[in-house]
Amino acid sequence: MDFSHDNYPQYETMYQHTNEEGKGKRKELWRVFWIMLVITLVELFVGFNATKWGLTGGGLLKWGFIILTLAKAGFIVIKFMHLGHETKFFKYTILLPYGIFIAYLIFIVLVEGTYCSYPENKPKLNPIFMDQKIQNNANHGRSYINKNLNLKMSDGTEAVAKEKPAATHEEH
Amino acid sequence: MSHAVANVDEKEAWSGGQSPFRMSYGKMMMWFFLVSDALTFSGLLSAYGFVRHKYSDAWPAAEDVFTHFPGTHAHLPLFYVGLMTFILIMSSVTMVLAVEAGHRNDKRGVIIWMLLTIIGGFMFVGSQAWEWYNFITGTAEGATRMVWDIDAGKYVSQVVQGANMTVNEYGPAQFANFFFFITGFHGFHVFSGVIINCIIFINVLSGTYERRGHYEMIEKVGLYWHFVDLVWVFVFTFFYLL
Repeated sequence: MDFSHDNYPQYETMYQHTNEEGKGKRKELWRVFWIMLVITLVELFVGFNATKWGLTGGGLLKWGFIILTLAKAGFIVIKFMHLGHETKFFKYTILLPYGIFIAYLIFIVLVEGTYCSYPENKPKLNPIFMDQKIQNNANHGRSYINKNLNLKMSDGTEAVAKEKPAATHEEH
Repeated sequence: MSHAVANVDEKEAWSGGQSPFRMSYGKMMMWFFLVSDALTFSGLLSAYGFVRHKYSDAWPAAEDVFTHFPGTHAHLPLFYVGLMTFILIMSSVTMVLAVEAGHRNDKRGVIIWMLLTIIGGFMFVGSQAWEWYNFITGTAEGATRMVWDIDAGKYVSQVVQGANMTVNEYGPAQFANFFFFITGFHGFHVFSGVIINCIIFINVLSGTYERRGHYEMIEKVGLYWHFVDLVWVFVFTFFYLL
């Protein structure tokens, strides 16, 4: 098979190196491996002990995990996938479109996902929607009532919810 | 075909004489494919984060769900997924060492490291199958959950064992749906990666790239394989740690 755009072998062989140069490269790759292994072990150790230490998925823990994950991702992309070797123009071509899309996606998910939880937005919401949401929260897929939820409907009555559903066939 | 492209007229450089990125067409297209694939996975994980945040009071902690380890009945959360992560990172290292051997035109090195990568890939897929099996089977005692009764048209409470697309012993059915979809989609990528690695491995054995004079194809499949590892790093964090 012969593809016309593959006829420029100087690009396909430009990263070839000698045995001597290879030694240094292998050493660096193993160094990256050990760093990633240590990061993973730290993550596991913290995740295993988080509840014991009284950390219950709070902001600090979450951001710690996210930063460690991004560090690992950076090592994979730059060192293992050799994006660090490519031209500056190509790095931007790969990273910028992806970064812009994902930053926008995270932004919109956070904004839309927390809209209902701001008090100033509550009057703007359709009361029927809010009643449905409260009813769903009281009932949906769980066997207990969360006391922290505001179970008052828009007309002031309590949302209907079972305390502890019995194991039998029962109307809910 | 002509290889005499060392002295390209700069005026013609953008009309096909030279790559503006100074890289081969195949590698560039692999990168573009990976960007689009990364967007897909990011969308899935964002959706997971959105739903998880919305139902955070009902959402199960993953370390209460995945507590098994082969050969023991002890309560060992995170150990098994840690092992899976180790296997995949390890196979990523063997892959990059295969790429490095390819840069030296070292056929024997490429064969050894590619073989180890393929073994690691099969081990990971097998581990994931075991994880799915335990999640689907569930615990012996089960848990009481509200289940939608389609004939009665209402929710009824029922003892549920294990998880599937409609009921989930450990929490909301959405948790199981996301678990099956995201780890399944990733597992499918691992599986296709192993198959692609096998094809390239056979090509290496039969000397295709030795005749071609360079092992750039190893680099291209390596990119895909590292991407699979990259996705797992995020799945591991967002599903099991947070």
